[in-house]
Amino acid sequence: MALPSSQQILAVLSHIQDPDLGRDVVSLGMIKELEVNHEGKVSFTFELTTPACPVRDRFKSQAQDLVGEIPGVTGVDVRMTANVRPAFMRPRPSEILPGVKQTIAVASGKGGVGKSTVAVNLAAALRNSGAEVGLLDADIYGPSIPAMTGSRQVPEQVNGRLRPIEAHGLKLMSFGHINPGDQPTIYRGPMVGKAIEAMMIQVDWGQLDYLVIDLPPGTGDASLTLAQAVPLTGVAIVCTPQDVATDIAVKALQMFRKLNVTPLGLIENMSWYICPSCGHRHEIFSHGGAESAAKRLGVPFLGAVPLEEGIREDADNGTPVVISRPDSAGAKAFVHIASQVAARTSIQSFRQLPVINVH
Amino acid sequence: MEITWEDGNRITYSAEQLRWACPCAECRGEMGAPGRLSRVKTLSPEELSIKDVTLVGQYALQIAFESGHATGIYTFPYLRALRS
Repeated sequence: MALPSSQQILAVLSHIQDPDLGRDVVSLGMIKELEVNHEGKVSFTFELTTPACPVRDRFKSQAQDLVGEIPGVTGVDVRMTANVRPAFMRPRPSEILPGVKQTIAVASGKGGVGKSTVAVNLAAALRNSGAEVGLLDADIYGPSIPAMTGSRQVPEQVNGRLRPIEAHGLKLMSFGHINPGDQPTIYRGPMVGKAIEAMMIQVDWGQLDYLVIDLPPGTGDASLTLAQAVPLTGVAIVCTPQDVATDIAVKALQMFRKLNVTPLGLIENMSWYICPSCGHRHEIFSHGGAESAAKRLGVPFLGAVPLEEGIREDADNGTPVVISRPDSAGAKAFVHIASQVAARTSIQSFRQLPVINVH
Repeated sequence: MEITWEDGNRITYSAEQLRWACPCAECRGEMGAPGRLSRVKTLSPEELSIKDVTLVGQYALQIAFESGHATGIYTFPYLRALRS
C-alpha cells in the first residue's frame, strides 16, 4: 500500500480550528516536524501558543483520529508542546490591547514638568503624520487630558466595553472622562492599578499604530502596573532643565530600566522663554539640563520645548498647540520630538525578546 | 521549560528547580522571617508541575504551578543566573 503524503496529512489536520485564534491549526504554524516512516507511522509536534490551552486534549485526540483514518497510516504519534511568544504574549492574550502596535509611555518622576502637555502634543503630532493614535491618561488622581483636549463627555458603553472619546482625530480615555466634575478620586494604591488595567482591558481601543500613555508622576503603583501589564515599546521621560527636576527624571528612567522597558530618550520642557515685549530669550529654569543628563545616562536626547504662553493657552482651551498654531516654535519642537520618538520606536520593533518553551 | 535568550543562549529548567527557586515572599520569607521553602523538605507533585507561564511586562515571568501557587515573579536576570 502507498505511504500517505505530508500534504494529505496536513490537509486533514487543517480541519482542526483553533477556537480562540479563529483559524486552522496548520495555517497557524502549529504542526511541526511532520514525519512518515517506511511502515506508515506518522509522527509530528503539535505546538500550542500556551501550555494552559483549554482545548489541548481535544486537539490531540482530533489530530490522532483524523490522521488515523487516512489509508496507509499504521500509527500516529502526536507530541504536544507549547511555545509562548513574548512579542505577542499578554497577561490575558486577547484582552489587553490586542490591536495596538506600539505603546509609548510618557513619564517624568517629578510632577508639574508638563508630561500631559507633551503627551497630548506628541499624540497629536503622530496623528498629523497619518498614524492611528490613542492617548490613555493613566493619572487617576489628577487627570488633565479631558481639559487639554476639550473632551469632557462621558464615554459610551457598548457590549460592556467603553468606547474611547474621539477628539482631534485621537482616541482618548481618561479617568476624568469616567469620573467627571470636581469630585476627587480617593483611591489607595492597589485601586489605582486596577483602574489603569481597566482602562486598557475594558476600553475598545480598536486598531492603533501608537497608544501614548500619560503616566502620573512618581515611581510607584501606576508605573509599575503599566510596566507589568503591557509590553511597553518604550518610555519617553519629560523634565525641566533645572537640577531638581533632572535628578528625579533620572530616577524614573532607572526604574524603567530595571523593568526592562527601553528609555526612548529625554525631553526638555520649559527650555527657554522669548519675552513678548523685549524679544529677549530667557532661560528661567536653566537650559540644557536634560541634554547633559541624557548624555550622562547614554540615552537619546529627543528635543527641547520652549515655555510659551500659546502652549498653555491652547491646552486650557482644549486644542493641542501642534493643531492650533502649527507654525509656532512650540509646535515645531513637538513635531520634531514626535518624529524622534517614532524613529526610536521603530528600532524597538526589531528588538529580540527571549523565547519561552514549556514542555 | 526552555528559554532562548536574546543572545541565542539557551537554558533548560526543570519544573522542580523552578518551584524550589520561587522568589515570592511566602516561599523566601520576608523581613528576616524564614519562608516556607526553608521549612519544608518535600513538595507534592502538583507543586512541582507547571500549569502556565505568563510574561510580566517584558522583564519577568510569572509561573503558575498545578497546586495553584503563582505568586513568584521570576525576573529575567534571576532566571539567567539560575543554572540547571
